[in-house]
Amino acid sequence: MLEARLTQASLFKKVVDAIKDLVQDCNFDCNDSGINLQAMDNSHVALVSMSLKTDAFASFRCDRNIALGINLGSLTKVLRAAGNDDVLSLKAEDAPDVVNIVFESSSQDRISEYDIKLMDIDQEHLGIPETDYAAMVTMPAAEFQRICRDLSALSESVAIEVSKEGVKFTCTGDIGSGSVQLRSNTNVENPKESIEIEMTEPVALTFSLKYLVNFCKASGLSDKVKLKLSAEVPLLVEYPLSEGTNSFLQFYLAPKIGDEE
Amino acid sequence: MARTRSKPKAAATKETTPEPPQSTAKPLPPSTSNPPKVFVLPRHTSHESRIVTLNNPANGAPSRYYFCPSKGFYEFTRIAAPKKDCKSWLITPEKTSDNVAKEQEAQAETTTDNADTEAGLGGGYLTNKADMFLATPIDLLFLILPALAPKAGAKQGDKQYFLSFEDHLDNLASLSRQWKVLLSQHPSLKDRVEQRMAAVCDTVTAGDETMYRLSTDKLTRVLTRKAERMCTQGLPPSMEERFVKTALEVPVMNVLRSDTFTTTSALADSSATITVESHTTATSFTSTTDDLVAKPAIHTPPEVPHLLRLRTSLTYLSSSYLPPTLHPLITSSRTPDFSSLDTHLAALTKLRAEALALRSISDNISRKRGYDEDEGAAMEREEKKRKKEEEEKKKKSESRGVKQLKKVDTSGMKKLSSFFAKKAK
Repeated sequence: MLEARLTQASLFKKVVDAIKDLVQDCNFDCNDSGINLQAMDNSHVALVSMSLKTDAFASFRCDRNIALGINLGSLTKVLRAAGNDDVLSLKAEDAPDVVNIVFESSSQDRISEYDIKLMDIDQEHLGIPETDYAAMVTMPAAEFQRICRDLSALSESVAIEVSKEGVKFTCTGDIGSGSVQLRSNTNVENPKESIEIEMTEPVALTFSLKYLVNFCKASGLSDKVKLKLSAEVPLLVEYPLSEGTNSFLQFYLAPKIGDEE
Repeated sequence: MARTRSKPKAAATKETTPEPPQSTAKPLPPSTSNPPKVFVLPRHTSHESRIVTLNNPANGAPSRYYFCPSKGFYEFTRIAAPKKDCKSWLITPEKTSDNVAKEQEAQAETTTDNADTEAGLGGGYLTNKADMFLATPIDLLFLILPALAPKAGAKQGDKQYFLSFEDHLDNLASLSRQWKVLLSQHPSLKDRVEQRMAAVCDTVTAGDETMYRLSTDKLTRVLTRKAERMCTQGLPPSMEERFVKTALEVPVMNVLRSDTFTTTSALADSSATITVESHTTATSFTSTTDDLVAKPAIHTPPEVPHLLRLRTSLTYLSSSYLPPTLHPLITSSRTPDFSSLDTHLAALTKLRAEALALRSISDNISRKRGYDEDEGAAMEREEKKRKKEEEEKKKKSESRGVKQLKKVDTSGMKKLSSFFAKKAK
């Protein structure tokens, strides 16, 4: 039996919106720690990992581990019916055929209820170890989104270099080349605008811009984004969910190695 | 090789190696080369009755006939069980008490040297085949016809001569030796032969002697009378079904091309069985094809079924009892007038051909892809179609982002599974 209650339906909406452009169907694994999700894109070069811990919910109850296989397109359709400030409840039996979603609008005393048919999805889970990254950049999510969008107009891929000077995004395309360099700075007035760079050693890696642009769809979820890089391992793009909890939305992307370098 | 639960074969072969147990039962006597046969003979025949070998009138092959001086000739009809049925006769002596049986056995032993009689069930005998020979009366006329008929070599135009009765008898005797013996032993037979001969022959009197010559007209008349007698009782059901009913079936020319089915139209004056059958057909179609049955494509004239039956009987008679030389004479004779039957049958044949042509057209329409062997292929096709549709549906449900990511050049990018180990489930 699963009963999860989110005070802000918009959170779940945004999470699903951010994931649905990367994967089609995925399992929402529910257990007593919360709702977790891990899925790879079709070409298996990117991975999305979401974790909504119990403290992100207004109330949470899950007696048994339940995997809710949901088509994200269908889920998006239903979530579109929710108002941003609605209270969202997810309910499911122990061996469910459907997941029940209820939106309650506190102001209008309106309750809407939807059932989504579940599907059996065979997905492989990857064990992602705790990694000490060589470089970690924390920056405003909007800034990262802008850089990715701007550079994607020029090229397919971007080189991210983290050094003492800061972080540099460089790209070279048919029409020319471009780069954006950010220096580490601390904005006391508006801490959201701060850029923090922690680095143990310089890193330079190349990534597909299209994937990065795709990840940036999660920008609405959080003011900040963390980029974690180490040589020859996937980039981790992390958006913290609902401040103060351990909930997160993470994207992993394999670096481009070889002919680009 | 697949492993089975059966034991290895060695044990089985061991079992068969010991010598077969000595059978204590008495060995059965070998079957006789000339097994007894079962005959059904007419009652009240004279003691002088015997089985004679005469030439079959139709094919000239020597065949057995039962001859009784007072009652005449009988032919044998063999009634056999179907070949698949393992039927047999158990023939036992009439008196079953032991003494009598022993007596009979003793007699049998003394009279014939047949050792088989003492073996088996109280002197009984088990035949291999369940054949039964039934003696049925045959007109003497048929037996003498080969002698009267023109010789095989004679041409159509050759005129037959009038011959004296004695000459005809000589002819007969020359055909089969047994005729000679019979005629000499039984003078009464001669009178009967002459009587029957007179029935089918033109006669002229030359002096005090009467000369005979086969008359086709008379023969035809006699045969027709016989055939008519056959018809009055109705033909045997199998013959009726095969030669009369199916021959007279009127194909119903339906207005709708799609269902041209043939059905028997009610015969106007049929025998009892036929009427019943046609009634049932009529009732069964009342709901759908009432009007069709009411106006079949062609009406069966009332005299036609009878004529057809008559002709069937005549054909049967001539094929089984007349020498082949007489066949053309009979078929060309005009006494029973079959012309109306012929025209009707010709019309029927034409109709049937039309119905067949029509049906083959409609078959072409309705049988499109109707063959059984296509069923598997159709299912495969269905499966493929379903899969394709599913795939298409899946593709449609893909979000724009997913579609765009498919176009991304992922060369040089390793799969994530090469970085992170798969988690055991």
